[in-house]
Amino acid sequence: MVKKSLSLAIISEDLALLANLKRVVLESLDFVHITYFDSEFSFLADLPERKADVILSDQRNNSRGWEIFLEELHNQDNDLFTVFYVEDCGTRKIVDMIKAGVYDFITPGSVNRILPMLQKLLKEVDDKANIKYLSTEKNFGDHIANNSRSMLSIINRDYVYEKVNATFCSAHTIKTDGIVGKSLEEIWGKETFESKIRQNIDLCFQGNIVRYEANFDTPLFGKRFFEVVFRPIKKETGQITHLLAETFDITDLRHSQKVVYEMEEEFKRLETNLPIGFLRCDTAGTIIHANRAYLKIMECEDETLIAGLGIQEFYTEKGLFEIHLSQLLNTEVKTFGRVSLYTCTGHEIACRISGFLVTDGSGNPLFIDFAFEDSSRELMLENRLLQAQKLETIGALAGGLAHDFNNILTTISGYSELLLEEIPKSTPSAEKVGKIQTAVTKAKSITDQILTFSRQIDQEKIPVKVAAVLKETIGFIKSGIQGNITINEDIIKTDTLIYADPTQLFRVFLNLFTNAVQAIGENEGTISVKMVVVEGNIARNELNKNIVADEYILVTIEDTGEGMEPSIMERIFEPYFSTREMGKGTGLGLSVVHGIIAEIDGEILVSSKKDIGSVFSVYLPVAGGYDFINMKIDQNKTLLFISGNRYESKILSLALENTGYKLVFASNFNSFIKLVSGKNNLPDLIIYMDDSEEITPADLINIFSANKIEIPLILISDGNQLQTAEKILNLGMVKQRLTKPVSLREIHNAIQLSLI
Amino acid sequence: MACILIVEDDRDLREMLRTTLIKRKYIVSEASNGKEALLRFKPSMTDLVITDLIMPDEDGLKVIMKIREIKPSIKIIAISGGGKAGPGNYLDLAKALGADEIFSKPFSINDLIKKIEILLSPEQPY
Repeated sequence: MVKKSLSLAIISEDLALLANLKRVVLESLDFVHITYFDSEFSFLADLPERKADVILSDQRNNSRGWEIFLEELHNQDNDLFTVFYVEDCGTRKIVDMIKAGVYDFITPGSVNRILPMLQKLLKEVDDKANIKYLSTEKNFGDHIANNSRSMLSIINRDYVYEKVNATFCSAHTIKTDGIVGKSLEEIWGKETFESKIRQNIDLCFQGNIVRYEANFDTPLFGKRFFEVVFRPIKKETGQITHLLAETFDITDLRHSQKVVYEMEEEFKRLETNLPIGFLRCDTAGTIIHANRAYLKIMECEDETLIAGLGIQEFYTEKGLFEIHLSQLLNTEVKTFGRVSLYTCTGHEIACRISGFLVTDGSGNPLFIDFAFEDSSRELMLENRLLQAQKLETIGALAGGLAHDFNNILTTISGYSELLLEEIPKSTPSAEKVGKIQTAVTKAKSITDQILTFSRQIDQEKIPVKVAAVLKETIGFIKSGIQGNITINEDIIKTDTLIYADPTQLFRVFLNLFTNAVQAIGENEGTISVKMVVVEGNIARNELNKNIVADEYILVTIEDTGEGMEPSIMERIFEPYFSTREMGKGTGLGLSVVHGIIAEIDGEILVSSKKDIGSVFSVYLPVAGGYDFINMKIDQNKTLLFISGNRYESKILSLALENTGYKLVFASNFNSFIKLVSGKNNLPDLIIYMDDSEEITPADLINIFSANKIEIPLILISDGNQLQTAEKILNLGMVKQRLTKPVSLREIHNAIQLSLI
Repeated sequence: MACILIVEDDRDLREMLRTTLIKRKYIVSEASNGKEALLRFKPSMTDLVITDLIMPDEDGLKVIMKIREIKPSIKIIAISGGGKAGPGNYLDLAKALGADEIFSKPFSINDLIKKIEILLSPEQPY
């Protein structure tokens, strides 16, 4: 449609002018096609045949007058651009010519002006042609159809393409004739046609506009998504003979919709799953939206229950919210710290609240967003820390007291023993002194308990199977209780061991069971015992510890007894804090339990509700590091410990003694000789620290070689004494070699491995 | 007769021990803390030391270590009313550091006397 050439007709008798124009034009403009006419008459005669865009008419010798020529010209063709070649002819005449429709003028002195003139004319002719072209309905339609971004096609009742637009062709990289006359089945394949297209076409031929989305493989861009619209084309009779198919590529749209959707979902998820309560309110504090965490914190089942309520209704302190609100409207962001709130079920909880004012572009407040963080756990931990500190202080005090008291008791018991020696036996006086001694024994048991509570008595820790101790305790309790109490057991089968004193552990469980039994009293009741293994990371939330073990054995003892008020629950681990009548208990039971559990790095927690019952949870750290399960402690095995540093070695050996081995040590040459020269009673294992000056590596090697002794040996050496280490290694007895500094656990491990 | 040094900060208890031991014909010297004990300790004379562990001015553990160093053949009995030092019980530590016997307060004075007699008997096995 775009005109690429310009047809120029020149009418002149002046051959020199013709030659000149021809040279000027053709040298510079390759789009101009020139025809010559010697007179107006020959031009006008030729006009219907050959169409010219521009006419250049030499008016210098026009005897008829230019008006007549113009009139004749206009009668034939209005679209011609007329340029006159004139001598200087005065302004007035020029004005008249322009009025009559002359486009421009060229004079003998300005022949070159024709060049820019023709360039300009090319564009004007082109525009004119376009307008003319589009003025017909068919051309206009074709133009739109071929320049549309949609793929357009006209399909007949035989499912054959009758017409397709340029977009359709380019998208399928086929030419129009490659598709027109072909059936949809041929183009799209039988399967696609039958499954996706046919039914929609049929529906359209019934008179419906059909829209659907589908994905097709395109040759250029692979799989793309399309929106397809079929519109029926009706003849004047109303009969539907064809349909117009419009297909839009909506892949990008789909993609951005998907991205937006995903972002929205992500945000929703975040908002929903955030452990922080989120609340959007209007500027008066009326709730518009709450997230799940908020509902959870507020113990509310359904968002609709709180929508429309004012936040101030949750505040326990009246008037506080109004203060918060005014602060927020001034500062836009504000953290209010811990605020006491009522939940939907009426509980009082503490939340840390922050508010954010949301404004529109010009700073007018729109909403207020609030973040609520439940600080109950924080409070609970603070409380627990406070309790722990209190118990620690009481422990130190009580421990010191018990210590002094033991001195006094020793004096009392000493003198009473002296007295007994002096008074004849079986006299009333002797009997009285005997009573003094009984009282001393009772007092001793109390100071013992206090020392246990204050963790000043060492427990003999050995690997213990908690389940076994627990079952033993349950058996013991069962034999003593009445029929009103049922004991439910749910004890996991595990070989997991903890490191504790089994008698103390028994004492812990016995105490807790006794408490449960007493809490139930004469009523019907149940005690549920449960034992599970929990991961340290899970237990971390419950425990008031900076460092947690990898695993804990968790024993819970739950009763349906009388329960406790929170004020009582807070103090039950304090010594001499007893709710029982005087005489029913010493008031030391739970404080002793606390001390025993603390000593093995465990923790005891209690929760209780008045008239519902209490739950005691005991966390016992699982022994880790080395495999206790396969550890067979052979009491008959003797370990010989050789070291130069007496203090160090004895402390070390003391710890090893706890493992149940028989330990002997040698710090000088003579005792060493004695211990290894007898044929019998040789030690089963030697632990040698090569810092001994009395028993040098050379001594060791000499004695062993001379006596042909072969005893497994653990060598603990200084990292830089390689030579001596090597000599001893050459003996062939070294089973394990450790480098200082060593931990007890390492030594323990080495012993295990050496004695296998 | 054997000579025994009592190191104990509780005056009544110290007196009770002295009375009992004198009655059994032992020669008794006394100290009320660790520092005093080291001053009163006569290596050539003293055969046995009874020492408390937690005391002001040098505690019993140091007394045990130093006396053992001065006179390796000395017999030592540690007595304590409880308390912990580091990972171990004081009494266990005392034993590890060289106390021959340990007694946890309150104890029977007769048991103590019996142990003293065994420790001081000449044919005391290793």
